Amino acid sequence: MPSAQLAATTRSTTGKGAARTMRRSGRVPGIVYGHARAPQSLALDKHELDRLLEHISAENTVVELVVDGKSSRTLIREIQRHPFRRQILHVDFQELVAGEKVTVRIPIVLVGTAAGVRVDGGVLDQTLRDLEIEVDPANIPNHIDVDINDVLIGQSIHVRDLVLPPGVESLTDMDTTVCVCAAPRAVIETVVEPVAEAGAEPAAEPEVIRKAKTDEETEEESK
Amino acid sequence: MLSPKRVKFRKMFKGRTRGLATRGNTVVNGHYGLQALEPGWVSNRQIEAARVALTRHIKRGGKVWIRIFPDKPITKKPAETRMGKGKGSPEGWVAVVKPGRVMFELEGVTPEIAVKAMALAAAKLSVRSKFVTRDEAHTDA
Repeated sequence: MPSAQLAATTRSTTGKGAARTMRRSGRVPGIVYGHARAPQSLALDKHELDRLLEHISAENTVVELVVDGKSSRTLIREIQRHPFRRQILHVDFQELVAGEKVTVRIPIVLVGTAAGVRVDGGVLDQTLRDLEIEVDPANIPNHIDVDINDVLIGQSIHVRDLVLPPGVESLTDMDTTVCVCAAPRAVIETVVEPVAEAGAEPAAEPEVIRKAKTDEETEEESK
Repeated sequence: MLSPKRVKFRKMFKGRTRGLATRGNTVVNGHYGLQALEPGWVSNRQIEAARVALTRHIKRGGKVWIRIFPDKPITKKPAETRMGKGKGSPEGWVAVVKPGRVMFELEGVTPEIAVKAMALAAAKLSVRSKFVTRDEAHTDA
């Protein structure tokens, strides 16, 4: 089970004005909550948080959160980021309760190269990147490995095919596709081409919904 | 080229583009993306040119997703026409893009090919953009 440590201080100010002031001063607002405690607003050091998130997988790492000298085991529940800058706006922590299972998303790692890609030049399309599981906080796996060496063109791997570690229960639908090996793009191109030409031909306007109705109305109005 | 099949109204107000892209700002389908850094209109011709540039550079292999759709009609008055006499006739379609919007996605190619392909595509667009990977543009934990 991976784990990390992070220091935080409590804060009494809330709202976007206080949050912006805090971000300007190199700190990041956050919150810690859980079944066994009341929500507590936090302030985190920006550099310390950036350094931590570079080294851990945020979804499934237990973070030892030290708030004003008092330590608690938490999971990062949400990281709010700026839409395009490399800036963290807010972090949610959930305090873990002993003996209580948690729901986490674990990354799915494809191991090897599919035979359809290696031999026939197909394209592997991974449609499911992470799996939602219910697990005891002490047994959270880093990732789930999937061997794709035998996947041919047209074949796919589903959630039911995954081998999960003991104590891990999948909450994702068993029929969900994890990855599929598709035919090479050159074959798809022949299908795409006529569609593109058909779209280019009529430079006319698209059909207007209920246009005929409005004409009738205008005639009635003129009468 | 991309354009709507049916519309409710033929013409639309220009509008103003404020704020950032609060949706569509993460890479969801592929591994690499092209993210807008400024607001603007991207025409269906630009989208098609960028798509062609992407697919030609990655050759065989790889998959491209277009995450924007030009659903806004643009009108234009004929040349040498005096002002007034109503709004011009529809001349094209644009997608309204806000900063942070992931416009194109790519998967199944090496990082070097992806960077080059996205640079070629970015050169066809009228908004400044940057290359992002799935991890960088991810919002949720």
